[in-house]
Amino acid sequence: MSDKRTTHFGYREVEEDAKAGLVANVFHSVAGRYDLMNDLMSGGIHRIWKRFTIELSAVRAGQSVLDIAGGTGDLAAKFADIVGPTGRVVLADINESMLNVGRDKLLDHGYQGNLEFVQADAQYLPFPDDSFDCVSIAFGLRNVTDKDLALRSMLRVLKPGGRLLVLEFSKPANPLLEKAYDSYSFRMLPFMGKLVAGDSESYQYLAESIRMHPDQETLLGMLEDAGFVNCEYHNLTGGVVALHRGFKA
Amino acid sequence: MAAAGLDPTLTTAALAALEEALNRALALDTAGQQQLGRLAGCTFAIECTSPAINVYLQPGVERTRLLGFHDGPVTTRVRGAAADFAELAGASDPAATLINGNLALQGDSAPLIELQGIIGRLDLDWEAPLVNVLGDVAGHQLAEFLRAGFSAGSAASSSLLRQLEEFIHEEARLTPPRLEVEDFYSDLQALQQRVERLQSRLERLRKRMQGARA
Repeated sequence: MSDKRTTHFGYREVEEDAKAGLVANVFHSVAGRYDLMNDLMSGGIHRIWKRFTIELSAVRAGQSVLDIAGGTGDLAAKFADIVGPTGRVVLADINESMLNVGRDKLLDHGYQGNLEFVQADAQYLPFPDDSFDCVSIAFGLRNVTDKDLALRSMLRVLKPGGRLLVLEFSKPANPLLEKAYDSYSFRMLPFMGKLVAGDSESYQYLAESIRMHPDQETLLGMLEDAGFVNCEYHNLTGGVVALHRGFKA
Repeated sequence: MAAAGLDPTLTTAALAALEEALNRALALDTAGQQQLGRLAGCTFAIECTSPAINVYLQPGVERTRLLGFHDGPVTTRVRGAAADFAELAGASDPAATLINGNLALQGDSAPLIELQGIIGRLDLDWEAPLVNVLGDVAGHQLAEFLRAGFSAGSAASSSLLRQLEEFIHEEARLTPPRLEVEDFYSDLQALQQRVERLQSRLERLRKRMQGARA
């Protein structure tokens, strides 16, 4: 029997060292059609969830923002608009393919000057202590191998008074909605993934990883355990998604 | 737009749609957009008590934002019921409405009055989007037709209102004219002051008589 520590990859139990590679394969596979699939799967509602995240970030001109697992750059673009030329936005993603898609998209849309692109692991952020006014991670935390380690790393790079925003799939508050959502995500998502991105397994993993992700209260406790204060969360679309917020004292 | 009990997805979606419509309209009046740009950096908090909705308006040089949540400093905070805000929006003298109305104001009122003035003076030019869709000739003709229609409609509406007001006050005598009402309230206030003074004198007299008996 192996004495290596294990973690979950969807519903599978895998060795911790293997998860990052497996997740990387999923995102290498979907990077090209990521935006299109997001719009299709959520009916465009992911844009509303991200807009709400921007509102709660309270980011102002001249501030510095780190968007972890920034993917194709939806949040980073909005942050870059708000912080302006005197501010700084870092779009970080562990996955090279996603980062390339995001960088090409943002540069094509004229974003430059206040925007940097960094390939980085959320668990070991390559930035000095107290670097950012705001750190955000949207639909990325559930893919991280050691979430507690990642949260502590985010706390370290935040300036005192800075805020962390975690936008992530969560547990619907209404049992009926939960059943409908289960049915949708386990039947429709893989089907749509196969049809549009030619990859049903990645979207099967997406549905499974959402179920394995900590619910609202558990994640709130994890934020507090990592050292964040004044933590809270907002349920969006009946709890299908939750936005957690915590501050560095 | 933070509304008690509503899912933030709904309120955020409504605000996003409203912001898009507002910015599209502002794009049709470049002068209005420039004037709004002068208010860049200001945040106006609109706190509606009935229905309970909070909206934060941030004018910008290129785009005006509508937010449901705002943690930073607020330039002007206005609190009141929806009907009070409707009265302010349509007021010919917004300063007087702010002072005399039911709205509670906190912060600097000058930028708010300027904002109301800019919104009130918006002159949307529909010709550019019509020309883009229909071409120069048809677009221009339709824009001219719409302009004439709006102008005639506006004149007819203002004339109708004036005539209706005259009929109610002068012909049917259903309600007294505004000046008469203001005069009546002024007399009433003076009478109330005189009654209060008389009441104070009587009280002083009563105390003096009680002192003399003792």
